[in-house]
Amino acid sequence: MKIFILKRILAAIPLLIGITALSFVIMKLAPGDPTLIYTDPSVSLEDLKQVQQNLGLDKPVLHQYMYWLKNMFQGNLGYSYLSHKPVIVAMTERLPATLLLATVSLVVILALTLPLGLISGQKKDTLFDHSVTFFTFLGMSMPTFWLGLMLILALSLYWPLFPSSGFIDLSLSQAPWPQKIASILWHMALPLVTMVLGGLAALTRYHRFGIIGTLKQDYITAGRGRGLSEKRLLYKHAFKNASLPLVTILGLELPGLISGSFVIEYIFAWPGLGQLGVQAVFARDYPILMGTILFSSILMVIGNLIADIAYAWVDPRVTLK
Amino acid sequence: MKHNKHLLGLLLIVLIGLAACSQAPINKKKLQKPLTLNISAEPSVLNPILSTDSASSKVIDLVFSGLLRVSTNLELIPDLAQSYTINSEGTIYTFNLHKNAYWHDGKPVTAEDVKFTFERILDPKTNTVRRSNYIINGKEVQFKVINSHCIQAILPQPFAPFLTHMTMGILPKHLLSNQDINTALFNRNPIGSGPFVFQEWHSAQFIRLKRNENYYGKRPKLGSLLLKIIPDQNTALISLEKAEIDQSGISGKDYARYKDHPEFSIHRYEDLVYTYMGFNLKHQFFKDSQIRKAIAMAINKDAIVNGVLKGFGTTAHLPASPVSWAFPETLKKNPYPYNPEKSRQLLKAAGFRKNKQGILQKNGQPFEFTLITNKGNKDREKVAQLIQQFLKSVDIKVEIRLMEWSSFIKIVNAAKDPKDFDAVILGWSLGLDPDGHSLWHSSQYPKGFNFVAYNNAKVDKALQKGRLTMNTQHRKTIYKQVYHEIAKDLPYIFLYYPESLTGIQDRVKGLSPAGPAGLMNPIENVYLQP
Repeated sequence: MKIFILKRILAAIPLLIGITALSFVIMKLAPGDPTLIYTDPSVSLEDLKQVQQNLGLDKPVLHQYMYWLKNMFQGNLGYSYLSHKPVIVAMTERLPATLLLATVSLVVILALTLPLGLISGQKKDTLFDHSVTFFTFLGMSMPTFWLGLMLILALSLYWPLFPSSGFIDLSLSQAPWPQKIASILWHMALPLVTMVLGGLAALTRYHRFGIIGTLKQDYITAGRGRGLSEKRLLYKHAFKNASLPLVTILGLELPGLISGSFVIEYIFAWPGLGQLGVQAVFARDYPILMGTILFSSILMVIGNLIADIAYAWVDPRVTLK
Repeated sequence: MKHNKHLLGLLLIVLIGLAACSQAPINKKKLQKPLTLNISAEPSVLNPILSTDSASSKVIDLVFSGLLRVSTNLELIPDLAQSYTINSEGTIYTFNLHKNAYWHDGKPVTAEDVKFTFERILDPKTNTVRRSNYIINGKEVQFKVINSHCIQAILPQPFAPFLTHMTMGILPKHLLSNQDINTALFNRNPIGSGPFVFQEWHSAQFIRLKRNENYYGKRPKLGSLLLKIIPDQNTALISLEKAEIDQSGISGKDYARYKDHPEFSIHRYEDLVYTYMGFNLKHQFFKDSQIRKAIAMAINKDAIVNGVLKGFGTTAHLPASPVSWAFPETLKKNPYPYNPEKSRQLLKAAGFRKNKQGILQKNGQPFEFTLITNKGNKDREKVAQLIQQFLKSVDIKVEIRLMEWSSFIKIVNAAKDPKDFDAVILGWSLGLDPDGHSLWHSSQYPKGFNFVAYNNAKVDKALQKGRLTMNTQHRKTIYKQVYHEIAKDLPYIFLYYPESLTGIQDRVKGLSPAGPAGLMNPIENVYLQP
């Protein structure tokens, strides 16, 4: 097991270098550079050129990449062109908000998906199944920005249950921790609902198919023949096996969840990584972009690794070598 | 499964409980909420010489002070400099600093700080785009300390717009002299000498400021200020409606919905900006002024103002804003008013005939062109569509291309001749000074912002003269000539001056008349009704 993990981590290093190199080149191929955001008749082109030179943007792409790589291995991801902050600082200060929203929404999605998928799968083609399909797809097909705004309108403006946006009540900076946490969770409610409604459909569908497929297996029929109750068959025998594909999918979803949802963060003024990343794309803030790419690639690798380990754990037929 | 049910129930209870108990303590407190403004975007860097974005400057204006500042009437008035004199040649500016001006850490503000600030801007290692403001004709402006509270700026030659650059926020030398200014922690924890002291900044959430009790100017009435970062315009509007924030921009389409709101009022003003359609004057058809004239007469600017801005704006015919002192009232009339019939005649006279597809053609070349603008700017996209329709009615085919900002600017700014575009829709925001050298002087093509390749010797000469002339009345005459020439030549079709709408809660008092200098300028006068 330990050797397996070590091997995987070692194998991940060239992979990460490859990903970053490719991303770097693609990024540089996109037209424009960070000084273009200054475009304004009061700014002279000589000044832009000087800034480009100071940032090393006039050097060949390979040179720039090698410089980035060398610094990266020394633990230095550089400074944001936009905020002049160290990339590590810029990212870590946004991480808690993203992590919180991502994990809570994942837990909620799972808590809803598992029973919904299970019942839908078992009661295939019944009214319950169809309505689950209908409503989860409705949630998925509503544009996030629209759904978010409607929730704000309904639950914040007309029925003022929740704040319209933000992370924490700003008057609470001196308040004790429990009160702060309560305020954060209260602020998180609307973005959370938006995220859950949007993310429910896919996993529920997967799980439903998993259940349907498993229920068709011979061992279930055999179990039924031996007189096992439907409940026992479903919860004890089918459920575990049907959950296997979910493990893989969750592993793949990890980086996506962490990188944050730009739209949700933007609408709800949620101080997460998504806003940072998208802003960096438009401003051509290469150091932040590279930091984000590196970070999500690492998560991708970790997500896969966890998925494999979890697979081996739930499915005894799989062994890790 | 049972567990899940429990979990769900638990979650619901927790959420509802939270909603209930989180609201309770807030209602209990009867403390007045500080003035809460929305700065819409995360500021990039709180250092006046490095920042370029509007969110940063909103904060910087409160925390830092410059030698001069801009008054409500858009005039330059003394700030850190209590007084200043200019020698008769217009080359030596002497500034006398406030004797009782202190940094927020208690140290006095001296002439050394001023010298330090401008020298850092001039230092090529500083990643600033303001350097050229202090370089005149290739020579740097010299800053000479006369005594601890007197400094001179010595210009290599007279330069009228120079004074507008003296509003730059001054930096504390004692905190920055041994730091790399590009990456200094100072940029996130600024210490200035302005009316408000920086307290805390929670990235992508808010910035908190408190009153500077040692301010050399009038003591601010507000004890503290909260600057929230709400990027989405719709969310900001709801926050305004809920009185979570005290001020928010409002778009024209939302005006009717909010104009009679009981708790906030909408203030309207014209800003120092205009929107235009610019021609590539090297284009085979656009180089002919008669054709540009024909296009101008085919476009109904009033319809654009009504359609795109819902009437919140005025039509523009020249490159100056009506709020600028240099705006020539006598040139207000559209020299080429909407007249599609006349437009068709002009095009016919220029040798265009309809081809089989119903498009005008000359020497086998159909009159088709691409109009580019930046994606995401809804107003400009709508303007492009209207222009497409107007020109279709005179049988000119327009193709619209929306481009991401960086790609768009890359084409427009490419240092090549001719450039790869036919026509663009863009807007300029203008400085306080009418100097239009960077936009209209022929030396600013192909490198520079005169990307349309405008070339008029009279304008070139007047622009030079305008920079060298110190007398405002004389300058007004000079710029009138510039505007007259440009309006006649039509390198751009000037379209409109948009009106800015901003909603401010009625509890906010002490506001100045609405204008580009800001309703809360000076901030010292603003207070909250208890």
